[in-house]
Amino acid sequence: MTSHVFKNGLLVNRTRRLAGSLTAAACLLASASVVADHSDRNPNVTEVEPWDTVKVSRIPGNIYLRTQDDPDDLIWDRLPEYRTALLPAPPVHQSVALRFEEGSTRTKHMYFQLARSADRLYIRLRWKDPTENRDTTVDEYRDGVAVQFALNDTDTSYMMGSGHENPVNMWYWRADKEQVDSLAAGGYGSTTTLPVQNVSGASAYFTDPVPADREWQVVMSRPFKSDGKYDVNFDRDTVPMGFAVWQGSENERDGNKRVTHTWILLDASPDSDNGQ
Amino acid sequence: MTVKRQLSMVLDLNKCIGCHTCTAACKLMWTNRNGREFMYWNNVESQPGKGYPRDYENMGGGFDADGALRLGRQPSQEDYGIPWEYNYEEALMTGTDPWLRPNVKPTWGANWDEDQGLGDYPNSYYFYLPRLCNHCANPACLAACTRNAIYKRQEDGIVLVDQERCRGYRYCVNACPYKKIYFNEEISKSEKCIFCYPRIEKGLPTACAQQCVGRIRWIGYRDDEDGPIHKLVEKYKVALPLHAEWGTQPNVFYVPPLSPSKFGENGEQLDESRIPLSYLESLFGPRTGEVLDTLAEARQAKADGKGSELMDILIGYKHSEMFKLS
Repeated sequence: MTSHVFKNGLLVNRTRRLAGSLTAAACLLASASVVADHSDRNPNVTEVEPWDTVKVSRIPGNIYLRTQDDPDDLIWDRLPEYRTALLPAPPVHQSVALRFEEGSTRTKHMYFQLARSADRLYIRLRWKDPTENRDTTVDEYRDGVAVQFALNDTDTSYMMGSGHENPVNMWYWRADKEQVDSLAAGGYGSTTTLPVQNVSGASAYFTDPVPADREWQVVMSRPFKSDGKYDVNFDRDTVPMGFAVWQGSENERDGNKRVTHTWILLDASPDSDNGQ
Repeated sequence: MTVKRQLSMVLDLNKCIGCHTCTAACKLMWTNRNGREFMYWNNVESQPGKGYPRDYENMGGGFDADGALRLGRQPSQEDYGIPWEYNYEEALMTGTDPWLRPNVKPTWGANWDEDQGLGDYPNSYYFYLPRLCNHCANPACLAACTRNAIYKRQEDGIVLVDQERCRGYRYCVNACPYKKIYFNEEISKSEKCIFCYPRIEKGLPTACAQQCVGRIRWIGYRDDEDGPIHKLVEKYKVALPLHAEWGTQPNVFYVPPLSPSKFGENGEQLDESRIPLSYLESLFGPRTGEVLDTLAEARQAKADGKGSELMDILIGYKHSEMFKLS
């Protein structure tokens, strides 16, 4: 039953994507399918609140991914999906506070999936964004998404970590360079690019006649084994995890973003697979 | 922001001939390449005029009366002017294009409204205003940076962007009311006038000052009582900051321009300067009139053969006296 609905969801998605290049009539049909595809009512999406534990799904060894980080890979239609609300980040600097009002009341839903193979951990993220902003220019800001992991325990501040003692590792995907930066921070203002860049990623932007239904999909992945002091170690009971998203069209950058308030707990152990 | 010493510059607007040699010197040295083509760390504007970036005086930024950062309008690429090139090869060498033309339609630039000024003949007027980073004592760019990427050097107060720390958020571009910090698209980081610090460290003046044909620029430390800056700013009080009301405490000062008298309807000279005092006050503050009087007196004294230390400094006989870098 579950897999059937997943396939159904996949079919709806594909119809919408085709509709972009078809006639007005087809657009109407597509709009109807959009209504049918209300992801927030999708029973296959599990709502996740901060402090919930989410389990990673195992990609069996006999499944071969043709492209390592393909957001549109069929495998993602077969793995459980979670949804969590991102809220405006509390401003911690006057430059952010000055720009805070605009958009501060709006939440954003982040859909995410977690998977691991024998040697790699994958995260797939998707979120609605009516505009595809791939440029960083004098006039434009890029879209972006990030996953943040506490290197230690949950007493680490979700706002970019707490000093040298409790830093965070962040994987920041940026739309302009189509790359993932592995960063570390110990408090806001301290974000630093790590010497070892071992996180890969790829994105796809799915357009739609209905702007509100346009969507980014991003996959990021890293060897399961960590490499370096600030590279998050997944080989423990739970890893505190949070998300952030920046909308370039709204001039979002830095602390002007929407984030997970506090932590979601990632259980990356190999036996965490819930049998999907 | 307290620093051990503060380097400053004074520019005498009475001597600027608008030749742009300073701009060319700066551009050749720092900004003709690598994503900086649209930037003019130094530029010369005709005033009254919209300036560069276009209408920057009305973009906001700086600090309010309570010292809080003011949100400004972000200048667009069009406000700076998109740099253009000409088809020299095709038009002049191979003859494949009959017209010499720019590769983009120019809409604005660093001195777009040159010599337009205001007023009707015979009372039309303008003057030149060279602008560079003010290396402020209270830099809005520094206050706006969430990364602590902007710092003020203890030894000379030069304001610099740490290119390792900058992540290209552009709050500084918005915050600087003079719009003298720029976003480089090629490297996704902000850049600005560095007061030619590699030259300063060798005891040399900035390129803009060294090359100045009109010898309008003095460089020295604020606390050097024998130096030109102290004498012009503190002793004779004839050099004023541009738009002090924006709250950043600039370390670049201007000697405001005197102008000939206005003509009446019958061609008679009126007791009123061609450049309205109110306009100059809008740029350089309420002391402008007092400064212009001091300048006129010193000029007259020199003309009368009485001698004037102030006029001797402003004439700028020797570079070695204009630039005191130790």
